[in-house]
Amino acid sequence: MTPRVAVLSGFGINCETETMAVFEMSGAHADRVHVNRLVNGDLNLSDYQIMAIPGGFSFGDHLGSGRLMGNRLRFGLRDQVRGFVREGKPVIGICNGFQVLVKMGLLPGDEEVSLTQTASLALNDSGHYENRWATLEFDSKSPCIWTAGLERIRVPVRHGEGKFVTDDPNLMDRWAESGQLVARYVDPSSEYPSASDNILPYPISPNQSWRNVAGVCDPTGLVFGLMPHPEANHSTWLGATWTREDNEHGQGEGMAIFHNAVNHVTDS
Amino acid sequence: MSTDEHVRIFEVTTKDLEGLPDSRGETVRSMLKTDHGIKVDSVRVIMGYQVRSTISDAQAETLTYDLFADPVIEVAKTGSRILDDFSDAPEVAIQIGFKPGVTDNTAQAGLDGLTTLFPEQKEARVATYTTYAFWGIEGTVSPSELAATLHNPMIEMASVADRNGCLNGHWPQLGFPDVPPNIFKEPMTVNLEVSDDELLEISERGLLALNLEEMKAIQSHYRDPAVRAERTEQGLQSDRPTDAELECLAQTWSEHCSHKIFAAKIRHVDKTTDEDTTINSLFKTHIMQPTLDIQKEVDWLLSIFHDNSGVISWNDDWSVCIKAETHNSPSALDPFGGAITGIVGVNRDILGTGLGARPIANTDVFCFGPPDYSGTIPPGLFHPSRVFRGVHSGVRSGGNESGIPTVNGAIVFDERYIGKPLVFCGTVGIMPRTLADGRESHVKTPEPGDVVYMVGGRVGSDGIHGATFSSLELTEESPSSAVQIGDPITQKKMLDMILEARDEGLIQVITDNGAGGLSSSVGEMAELTGGAKLDLGQVPLKQAGLSSWEILVSESQERMTVGVRPDDCEKFEALASLHEVEATAVGEFTDSGAFVVHHGQTPVAHLPIHFLFDGCPQLNLDSEWSPPTHLPVETPELDEEGMGKLLARLLARPNVASKEWWVRSYDHEVIAQSVIKPFCGTNHDAPGDAAVIAPIQGGTQGLVISNGIAPRYSDIDSYAMAAASVDEALRNAVCVGVDLDLIAGLDNFCWPDPIESSKTPDGRYKLAQLVRANRALDDVCRAYRLPCISGKDSMKNDAMMGGEKISVPPTLLFSLLGNHEDVRKAVSSDFKKPGDAIFLVGETHQELGASELAFMLRDEGSGGIGGAVPEIEPERNMTVYRALASSMKSGLVSSAHDCSDGGLAVALAECCFGADSGASIDISPLQSDCSDLDDWGALFGESLGRILVSVRPSDKEAFEESMEGVCCHYLGLVSEGDAISVSRDGEKVLLGSMSEMRDSWKDTLHGGGL
Repeated sequence: MTPRVAVLSGFGINCETETMAVFEMSGAHADRVHVNRLVNGDLNLSDYQIMAIPGGFSFGDHLGSGRLMGNRLRFGLRDQVRGFVREGKPVIGICNGFQVLVKMGLLPGDEEVSLTQTASLALNDSGHYENRWATLEFDSKSPCIWTAGLERIRVPVRHGEGKFVTDDPNLMDRWAESGQLVARYVDPSSEYPSASDNILPYPISPNQSWRNVAGVCDPTGLVFGLMPHPEANHSTWLGATWTREDNEHGQGEGMAIFHNAVNHVTDS
Repeated sequence: MSTDEHVRIFEVTTKDLEGLPDSRGETVRSMLKTDHGIKVDSVRVIMGYQVRSTISDAQAETLTYDLFADPVIEVAKTGSRILDDFSDAPEVAIQIGFKPGVTDNTAQAGLDGLTTLFPEQKEARVATYTTYAFWGIEGTVSPSELAATLHNPMIEMASVADRNGCLNGHWPQLGFPDVPPNIFKEPMTVNLEVSDDELLEISERGLLALNLEEMKAIQSHYRDPAVRAERTEQGLQSDRPTDAELECLAQTWSEHCSHKIFAAKIRHVDKTTDEDTTINSLFKTHIMQPTLDIQKEVDWLLSIFHDNSGVISWNDDWSVCIKAETHNSPSALDPFGGAITGIVGVNRDILGTGLGARPIANTDVFCFGPPDYSGTIPPGLFHPSRVFRGVHSGVRSGGNESGIPTVNGAIVFDERYIGKPLVFCGTVGIMPRTLADGRESHVKTPEPGDVVYMVGGRVGSDGIHGATFSSLELTEESPSSAVQIGDPITQKKMLDMILEARDEGLIQVITDNGAGGLSSSVGEMAELTGGAKLDLGQVPLKQAGLSSWEILVSESQERMTVGVRPDDCEKFEALASLHEVEATAVGEFTDSGAFVVHHGQTPVAHLPIHFLFDGCPQLNLDSEWSPPTHLPVETPELDEEGMGKLLARLLARPNVASKEWWVRSYDHEVIAQSVIKPFCGTNHDAPGDAAVIAPIQGGTQGLVISNGIAPRYSDIDSYAMAAASVDEALRNAVCVGVDLDLIAGLDNFCWPDPIESSKTPDGRYKLAQLVRANRALDDVCRAYRLPCISGKDSMKNDAMMGGEKISVPPTLLFSLLGNHEDVRKAVSSDFKKPGDAIFLVGETHQELGASELAFMLRDEGSGGIGGAVPEIEPERNMTVYRALASSMKSGLVSSAHDCSDGGLAVALAECCFGADSGASIDISPLQSDCSDLDDWGALFGESLGRILVSVRPSDKEAFEESMEGVCCHYLGLVSEGDAISVSRDGEKVLLGSMSEMRDSWKDTLHGGGL
């Protein structure tokens, strides 16, 4: 079976083209799905096996990135979204999509899928938007199906609001224990594994996220979101320093994430 | 539940959490220090929302944390002030909000969010403001001085509480920015049977920017008995234009829209050669003709000059297009608004090309006054650092929010850009060669009977007279109505919808609403079918009561005009509704021969198409060239370390310095296609040359995008300036491995007014500069087989402020779009490994006139800028470029970087920055190019056609073989360690530390903060 991926679009989402492309490159079939087509009943999420909320500037990031799109989903598509997650189907949110998942309470989330916001993505300490490359390291003990088997990848970050924080410090410990703080910024010159709770200097940590968190998953490991853009490193010639490296050309370091999800659906 | 409409205020600020700074406040603190030298201990920022609605208290409670504030990281209040909650009262509190009628995108989003929660609140209004609270203000900065740094009085209002006010809790509070009701004025007529002086007065009073001859052409049109008879039949006053007709003609005939100077008949006299010739249109002679001649030789020029952008065939499946626009006058008045409308505006040019192209890459080139300028700024103008920050922020917001990567650009500094900054915004687009229904996408297919739709934003009183205003110099009286703020999200929704409509075959014709609004967009398309009728009464408005002529010419943003077959209208409207985009039928294409406008039942305009588009009389202008004189360059006596320090100073010049802090905040990688990025090197901080993108995900065919701009040389000869611009664009493209058989160009001229008058006594000289620049463009583009496929000119870049005239140096931006056969073979500019061999390809001559070095030495107090400017030998350069391109194809080139500002020395240092390495070179071989070449000319001269290359030691021999027959000098090696060293004939002439040079290169334009 070829998994079908609903790649959401509309209202300022703008990474849907490449997000569709990486799922297609991973062997899935991807549809561009305007959010309103789900709201008006033209399409139904239950016909899809994977949902992706791509990056972009939904509603211009006004009133906080991801908030207004989060509300459209939380109020307009509440049952469809909860049903999708409870059925155990993989969901990914990238950059603005991650912000949407956090603001609507799907991430870091809870067992009941209560859609209660418990964390946030605050303005970078630099105070502005930046596009730069970072190195991510993944927690090998995480239940996250998207990052299984991954150690490190290099990816661009492109955001102004990516500093992962919460107002309850106990939650950070709990999420760490359950493997939900799955992706973290690391110093590329260090040895794997080296993810640290102490905030790394700028710009190794581009936004000064707490515990260097770049991405988190929900307790089941099926819902995953991250600020960096793995879909932007789908081919070796898109790397930041590829002209300095002698590697064979082919799929880029970001692709493993999408292969993981497609394989998860195909295998189950 | 209360149903009374009332205004509620919601305020939001960052929560006090350990490890969570108020980064908005920090940004303001850092900006005050960097740009204004004002030191403040701490700043807090409070976002405010005024909501006029009928919501209940309980609903307001919901809104607080479900809409306006983030429950995890923010605190919010409604009904009381956050300023009351700080334990220490601030020293100053300043509130900034928009003036009535100014686009407030955050408020618009807030309203959308409000109706998501409470759909019945459709009539609600939202306005935003921002409150800044300050503690620890050093020195004697007054609250009003602080307020002046935070807002632009042309579009924003401020309310201020000083120390006393803050102690007593008298907080600033702006009222709701209600737009005063527009009073609808019945269409009026204008009597043109008046004296010549009065005709001119009508033009000036109405900001029409029409000269006497043009006014008389209009006068005589309305004297034509046939015209009068037709008008009587239409129910219009027969012998005189309506206000709407006069406005429509003024827009269409404006310099901005009809390029009268480029179309003029010019008598050109050259005092040095006794040439005395007449040029019938610079555009037709020197821009269009070379392209038409090249079109006979190549098969890939699909659509040139007549559409919103030029289109070339990229491969069998896809065509690509490119366009750049300037937005100079609006950016002078409101840097943020001017720049954001500039970038989203040029995106619409791409969307309006053919049947609709998708924008996939932006370029941004800015010319500003020096950011550290310490002289006095004439009243009415902003300091260059503020213009810089505002323009940058506008372009960042416009590009990033639209999801279009900014892939290439440049920033040039010169004091003469203080009067008008130049803000060039360019966009590259892509479209399938053929649509599913078999139509070629670059050909518009309108037919009489097609319905005219206005799609996107509504029409308001903003943006009235933009086209005519930009055809005038900037003065203290320049109207604020010409300033607008773009709304990228409304446009993005429209773009998504239009491209779906195109793919479903629903679009017959499309163009954007830019300068001149509907009068220009519908008028232009009416030319294709031979007529159109428009009902202004159908046009959706932002504010009721706009007069007919205002609706017709308003340049309100984010609008496209689309022609749709009657059978497709239902589908088209359904698609618009799905995307929450407004699409309204406002008229119909006809073949009546006239552009006919009604407002409901009232006739408003009846303009014959031929008169509208061909009725403007040709200008007759005089041009006279005699070269200017300058003091010669004076170079100091320096030892090798002195030369090293001089190079470090040159690297710190704003024109040369790293722009990383600014460029980082543009998204340059969205669409996941970016192969050669603005940054390269081991630390991702060395400058790239041209951009390479692979726009089809997974595909390896690429596009190369580059820019060339060299206004300095205009001070000596604009021929050299234009030649250098074209060569720089191509040179950059060659550095990354462009396919030299598929390259197309774009010319954007920005000139000071070149028409002789009492205000412009040196008009003949400025026109001669234009003639010479055009001749260079013609010569070089032919030699490079580089056809211009589109372009634009902006010919009134002067400011008259407080009696002082500031004119920009004549500037040509040349943009290039080319093919890349295999992006996996693209080359970046950074040196790769110690031990790699360094070569300079291309000839070096003693050409220091108007070089960056000459300007630096002059600014440091010695000599002038006079001397030989780089002379171009395009055939010779092309041979070198072809040899290098083929060597790259064979994989023999590890790095390639062009020599431009600061010459070989700067290029060498930049290549080292990317490798964290040093270099050791010997410039003796360069003397074989030129017998009188000295060390200065060799190191800092800016001779054209030169590229600094490095190759692996194992490829050295093969590389030298591949370059046989063209000028290619082996200079030395990339070295371990930190030293950059240059020798000649066994003697050290320059020695310096790479890391020290890199520090000074990075420091100058650091924008503050992290």
